[in-house]
Parts: sequence; C-alpha cells; structure tokens
Amino acid sequence: MVESASQKVSASGKAIVAEHLCKIFNVTKGMLRRNKTEVVAVKDVSFEVDYGELFGLVGPNGAGKTTTIKMLTTMLIPTSGKAIVLGLDNQRDVTEIRERIGIVLGGERGLYTRVSAIDNLRYFADLYGVPPSVRDRRVKELLEFMGLWDRARDRVETYSKGMKQRLHLARGLINDPELIFLDEPTIGLDPEIAIETRKMIKELVEKGKTILLTTHYMFEADELCKRVAVIRNGEIVALDTPSGLKRYVMDTSVVEVEGFGITEKEVARFKELAGVLSVSADLGENKQVLKIQTPKGSEIISEVQEILRNSRIYDIKIKEPTLEDAYLRLVTG
Amino acid sequence: MAMLHWVADPQWVIPNIIAPFIFTTVALTLFKDSTGPFGLYAVLGGGMMGMWGNTLYSSGYAIEFEKWQGTLEEVLVAPSKLLHVIAGRAVSNAVFGLTNMVAVLLVAAFAFRVSLGIADLFLFTVSLILTLLSVSALGLIFASAFVLSRSAQALTNGLETPLYIVSGSMFPIALLPFWVHPVAYVLGPTWGVDAIRLATSSDYASQTFWVGMNVNVAIILDLTVMLIITLAYAVIAAVLFKVVEKRARIKGTLVEA
Repeated sequence: MVESASQKVSASGKAIVAEHLCKIFNVTKGMLRRNKTEVVAVKDVSFEVDYGELFGLVGPNGAGKTTTIKMLTTMLIPTSGKAIVLGLDNQRDVTEIRERIGIVLGGERGLYTRVSAIDNLRYFADLYGVPPSVRDRRVKELLEFMGLWDRARDRVETYSKGMKQRLHLARGLINDPELIFLDEPTIGLDPEIAIETRKMIKELVEKGKTILLTTHYMFEADELCKRVAVIRNGEIVALDTPSGLKRYVMDTSVVEVEGFGITEKEVARFKELAGVLSVSADLGENKQVLKIQTPKGSEIISEVQEILRNSRIYDIKIKEPTLEDAYLRLVTG
Repeated sequence: MAMLHWVADPQWVIPNIIAPFIFTTVALTLFKDSTGPFGLYAVLGGGMMGMWGNTLYSSGYAIEFEKWQGTLEEVLVAPSKLLHVIAGRAVSNAVFGLTNMVAVLLVAAFAFRVSLGIADLFLFTVSLILTLLSVSALGLIFASAFVLSRSAQALTNGLETPLYIVSGSMFPIALLPFWVHPVAYVLGPTWGVDAIRLATSSDYASQTFWVGMNVNVAIILDLTVMLIITLAYAVIAAVLFKVVEKRARIKGTLVEA
C-alpha cells in the first residue's frame, strides 16, 4: 500500500497559508487596434489549512477556485499576496514545493493516452525524481491500490472514465506527496465511481495526507471536508465547518417546488418577493424544480401558488437547509 | 514519452522517412550526372532534414503536444525543469532522426549506386553524434520562444527550411549570398556537417572551411568550434528558459484559465 508521508511541520504549523492572494491577467484583444483589459481572476483570498486536514474550496464557475490552486501549486505567480506551502515560499522555493505536493486536475485529459498506465506512471515518477530503486515498486503499489494492475499494460485510451480518474489519482500520488490538491475529482463520474473516489480520498486523509479539494458538489464537501471555504468573484465569502456554514441558513427554510411550465419570468418574480433570500431554478425540459430560500417557511406557499397559477405544480416540500442551500445563499446573496 | 506516443502513431513515418527520402531521391536524380561530391550533399541534406525537422518538431511541438494531451500543467508543475524535459525530447528526437540518415543512405547506395564508403568511421560517428547534440541545443533556444508563444507550430514550420539551406547541408555555403555566411558560421550544425563530410570522403577536402589542412586536424577543428558554439547555445537556452518560464507563470500562457 502507499507509504505514509513524513510531515515537515512549517514554522506556522500550517500546511498552507494563503495571504491576500490576488491574480490579475492582462488580456489583449483585437488585431489592428489592440485593446488591453484586466481580468481579475482572484481578488483577495486568504485562508489556512492544517496538516492532515481535508479542506474544501467551493464556488461557482469562474469564482477563482482553480486559479487559487494554480497559484498555490506554483503554476502561476500571484499578482500580489503570499502563499506558504508546507512551510515553503511558493515563489522562492518552487522546486522544493513541487517535490512534496501532488496535483490531480482530473478530467479525461492529463494522461498520455497512446501509452500504457505503467508507462504513464513511470514517466511521471522520473519527472518527480522518484529513485529507480523505488519507482517500479511504487508504480505497482499504486496501480494495485487503484484496482488497475490487471490493465496496467493496456493503453490509457482503452480505459473507462472511472479508470482514467483512478489513474489520475495514482499519478498525483506518484511522489508520495504530503499535500495533495484535488480539483473537482468526481466531476462527470458515474455515481458508483464517484463513491469509490470519495472513499479513496478519505483513505488518503486517514493515512495522514493533507488535501485541498475543490468541488461543485456540496454534499461531497459536506461528507468529506473538515472545513469549507466558499469563494465568489475571487474572494472568500465564508469559511467554516459544514455545520458552521449551515448556520448561515438556520433561520431559513428551503421550499422546493416541482412543476411543469415554469418560466424564467416566474422565477424572476420569486426573486422580487419580500422575504425571499435566494432562488435557484433547474428548468429542465420535462420538469422544473425551484428552490426558494426564505425565513417565511410555509407562509410562502400561497404566494408560490399565485405566481405559478398558469403552471402545473406537482409537489411542494419544505426542507431543512443543507450545505448546498448555505452555498447558494452565499454565492447568490 | 513523446517518442512512445509518436511510435504508437504511424504518422511518424511521413516526416521521418518519406520526406527525407523524397528530398534525397530528387537531389540524386537531378544531379546524378554531376561531378564532385554531389552524393554527399544529397545524403547529408536528407539526413539533416530529418534531424533538424525532428528536433525543431520536438522542441516546438513539445509544448503543443502536451497541451493537446492535456498534460502540460502536470508536466509544468513537476519538479523537473521544463528545460530538462524538452532537452530530453530534443535529443531523443534528433537521435530518432538518424532513421532518416539510414533511409537516405540505403536509397543512395542501392537505388542510385552512389558510393558512400566512409573514409574514417570513428570520426564520422563522433561527428554525427556531436552534430546531433548541437542540433538539439539549437532547438532548445527556439523552444524557449515556443514556451511563450501560443503559435509554436507556425514558428516551427517557418524555421525548418532556412536551417537546411544555411547549414550547408544541401549545397555549399559558398553558393549562398555573402551576407548569409556569418549566419552559417554561428550555427553549430554547419561545422558538424563539414566534419561529417570530411570524415566521409576525401573528395570534399577542397570545399571544406579548412582547405589545405590535414583532414583529421580539420575535423577536430570543426568539432571544437561546434562544441564551443553548442556550449554557448546550452547556456543561452538555460537562461532563456528561466526567463520565459517565469514570464509564462506570470502571464498564465502555459496553463488553462
């Protein structure tokens, strides 16, 4: 099995210290007249992660999660701010940091598809300076751990999505890192594969790894993470344990409406109602689902029926707020 | 890794075997009645085409290849310096370009009955290996520009032919305009090609840079000049890579947004 990491505790005793990280990209558009614009990907992000912690970073698309990870992992140099990773400065001690961290960016890309899993891992082992005496043994252990040893010599292009994701994880562990960055590790996976992946993530934490995880799935953050930071428009708007974040919405209920024929116009009307804190709508072809966060609770039902009088309502439920509801409140509020 | 990938894809045959083969065949057909060491020029021209094409291809294409695979970020964030990764690719691909040399030698020897007995096999081999390294080092300098430019492939295409011409591998440098000569002399492969020719055939002695000198001394001088230039390339490439990689990390040109 994968060896336990030896942890070198930083002076601050933290695995990650991000202080006012900011990243601005200068984008030039146009051919004849070049217009320069600034894109603020991360405005001001500060947080700390303890050793052995599974820390979650959640936020909508474009909020700055991936850019933050890329700054912490030395892929990008911050425009301003400072990051200390495993006690090392992420601008001065680049090579040392890279030797001790693992990054799993996930998806179907990130692997050499025309060669085998073994060749992929051997190559990355060489890039990470894994000694030859250790390399082949570790490659075998990782592939066995991920349940891929039987297909180790097959080309990666013949692998299923779930197998590729497990190979990604194996690659991210090739240097036995102390700190692992997982960027949306279960996105696009079948439920049973996602469950397996989450189980592996928990096992890694039990072995003493520190993990920073980004995800879109609030239930995943709720299940896995000790603490969660919610990022919106390049800034952290909340940072707490999942239970702590749910307290943001303790005073509210979530009224879930399932129906047919609900339009954007009607959704907009809900947003304008007094006492409605947030509305999220999933307007599918065959069914539409609204989630309305409000302290009014069941009192809002009559208003729901009034606004949706021209639509068909299948069901109305009043639920306790979840982490997802807290997240929606934080990113849309 | 790129080599494994490349071999897995049979398209590698086209730039590595077919293109140099065509060049050599055309050259030998056009100049088969010529006197002088035309065979040398045809064969070495084809060989250089393969080596340089592979090296430039591996340097410029290395970044694009990683981007297409989606592995660039993973490679970038590994502790091994990007320079070392691309240097390894450049050297291995330049070596792989030797397949061109073999292909054109076979064509010249069997199809055109060109006699290419090698006068000094040891010096020929040493010259060939050192020229490979020089081509690789030169490719690294261009690779540093490719790190910053998202249009590496277009740059690669533009640089391929000039080197064939200016290095004297296709025809004597003396035939080129005088203002091109300084460019030729600062290219390491120019001296390497001269050394290879001298080691191959004494017919070439009248066209070398060191006319009148003992052939072995001339070869050693060629190799010495080439090594000095190659060392300079390596130093320049190391500095450039450091600078451009830092710029790429600031501008985000190597990572997906």
